Amino acid sequence: MKKVSMFIPCTVDIMLPAIGEQTFSLLERLGVLPIYHEKQTCCGQPALNAGYVDEAKKSAKHFIEVFGDDEVIVSPSGSCLHTVKYRYPELLSDEPVWLRRAEELSSRLFELSQYIVDVLGIEDVGASFEGTVTYHESCHILRGLGVSEQPKKLIAAVDGAEFVPLNNADKCCGFGGEFAKDYPDISEEMVKDKVQNYIASGADLLVLCEPGCLLNINGYLSRNHPEKKALHIATLLAGTAGQVRP
Amino acid sequence: MKIKTEQFTEVARREMADMNSRAFLQLLPPVIAAMRKAAMATFPDPDEANEYSRAIRAEVVARLPELLEEFEKNAIAGGARVVWARDAKEANDFILDLARKREISYVTKGKSMVSEELGTNDFLIRNGIKAFETDLGEFIAQQLHRPPFHIVGPAVNVSVQEVCDLFMEKAGMEAPTTDPIELGYAARLYLRDKFHHLEMGITGVNMAVAETGSIINVENEGNIRLTKSSPMVQVSVMSIEKVVPTMHDAMHMLRLLCRNCTGQSISSYVSIDTGPKKDDEIDGPEELYIVIVDNGRSDLYDDVKAREALRCIRCGACLNHCPVYGTIGGYPYGWAYSGPMGQVLNPLLLGLERTQDLYRACTLCGACKEVCPAGVDHPSMFLYYRSKDVQGDDGLKGKKRDWKEDSFFRIFSLATTFPWLWNKAVRLLRPLYNRNAKDDVVTNISGPFEGWFRQRNLPAMPSETFHDRWKKMKANRLS
Repeated sequence: MKKVSMFIPCTVDIMLPAIGEQTFSLLERLGVLPIYHEKQTCCGQPALNAGYVDEAKKSAKHFIEVFGDDEVIVSPSGSCLHTVKYRYPELLSDEPVWLRRAEELSSRLFELSQYIVDVLGIEDVGASFEGTVTYHESCHILRGLGVSEQPKKLIAAVDGAEFVPLNNADKCCGFGGEFAKDYPDISEEMVKDKVQNYIASGADLLVLCEPGCLLNINGYLSRNHPEKKALHIATLLAGTAGQVRP
Repeated sequence: MKIKTEQFTEVARREMADMNSRAFLQLLPPVIAAMRKAAMATFPDPDEANEYSRAIRAEVVARLPELLEEFEKNAIAGGARVVWARDAKEANDFILDLARKREISYVTKGKSMVSEELGTNDFLIRNGIKAFETDLGEFIAQQLHRPPFHIVGPAVNVSVQEVCDLFMEKAGMEAPTTDPIELGYAARLYLRDKFHHLEMGITGVNMAVAETGSIINVENEGNIRLTKSSPMVQVSVMSIEKVVPTMHDAMHMLRLLCRNCTGQSISSYVSIDTGPKKDDEIDGPEELYIVIVDNGRSDLYDDVKAREALRCIRCGACLNHCPVYGTIGGYPYGWAYSGPMGQVLNPLLLGLERTQDLYRACTLCGACKEVCPAGVDHPSMFLYYRSKDVQGDDGLKGKKRDWKEDSFFRIFSLATTFPWLWNKAVRLLRPLYNRNAKDDVVTNISGPFEGWFRQRNLPAMPSETFHDRWKKMKANRLS
């Protein structure tokens, strides 16, 4: 059986562990053997984004040590993956040995939907959901990793689901990690805009592939439109959309 | 122009409450973005066209010193006089001195971002030389004493009623009207008179061609052409990075500039000047001065990352695609350059200390980088500025962060390298965080995260992390 190493970002680990479980059960159902390194922590993106380069380097080296030998690494987050794939080589550019390891690692990383569609060649994962579904194109998944068609193909193949378009789907939801904390006025307006577009789409469900956007959009929905919700694609595809609280 | 980069948050808040700004921002940037897209699609291969222009800009940055020397040599050969200005003072002093020597009472100005950077208008006016902006938008912004709202449309957010009142008061308009054509005509009458008697005109430069010594201006109103061709003395001001290697390169950049700026294949007017009026020519200035402004740029040239900012061609495409600019508009950026372009340029030119918010108020969404025809990687520049600020870098005038943030990230990164410590910290934090939860939802936590909770909730932390659940799962399967 093909082994796949799961990179479970700290947001998922701590705040949204169900997404980790769904990633696991989905991959297992698709015929691969998901493994999980218990030594994984955080990729260091918060430190890197805040400008703490030396600190982020420490996290990056730890990550490389933990995942270094894995042939395939899959993650239910594009943002953290983007950090490892593209920021690590920049970060470690003046340390040749680590740089080489970071570059080698970079080609073995896949976002969950990308892995399922591009590597496993599967679109219909056998999930079902009755209703209309729309999709938010998270920045680091779309522009960072170039992943856009894969999740939409997976959604379209869900039994009973009808895909509907989302206006400005590729516009940032206003999360941006520290940005949401430091510039709440601006961030609020951005998430409000995203939610208004979601409501205007008429979809029963908003699906996305990024835990950060999920916390942001659901955070706003939970306060202002408790009848609506956003779901991580792993939740939809694992077939637990009806049972699991987002 | 007063530098107000430190008031970012305050001005942003005010702008978000301004219905006029909001209405404009919801309308115009998406329209220009769509026009840009359509215009880019007229290239046989839009991606390759972008790659090509990015390569030209990379070459410009890499060969900047030699290209400037080549440009100077060829511009002089064409009859122009080249003046090097180390900073704003040198540039402005030169222009003032020239105006005084030629006994000039007023100048007209073509739209020029570098002159906003230098504060040329204010300087001339303070010294008794009137300076009239002749781009319609700049003219309105100047009369209202406002910074440019958008690099391409400096006063595009100003209502017609406001323009009417302004023209009645300051541009000699006789009867009030809100008809845009009538308003345009009033500005035209007023400014034509200025051009008619003009003795000295000041413009910017879109491109300076090293190979030929020519300067190129791109515009849609014709006012730059009048500013260049009517007076005896023409002064063209450029920052050092405006140079391009060859005319062939310039023509490709022109295609990209117009498409990215206004969604046009080409602007209504493109003027290419090589030197002043020749003996056998009937039009053009007798004297042409090209002022090449450094203003701190070459000090940073050895910093190969920072100098990437010099790729920018001021097309403004990044503004129209930026979700933050689209929410707050151009004023909060507090200086000549706004939007992602300003977030890259202003910190470089003003120093990191007084531009803190510019490189931090960004979600790193990458929409700017994606459209940039010059190949600026804005998010990566912001990360670089943030890191230099944390380090308190001298060259870029970094400030350093407070000790609380420093210690937080030191402990944080340490914890990421010791999994037992990481998991222990999570276990310790959970009850503290969950103390704020009711029915598994956190609606407020006082302190640094307060802002988040004004309009948003967060889930409570589940009693087990994925890590915990995995361990259980593994144990169950083994047994």
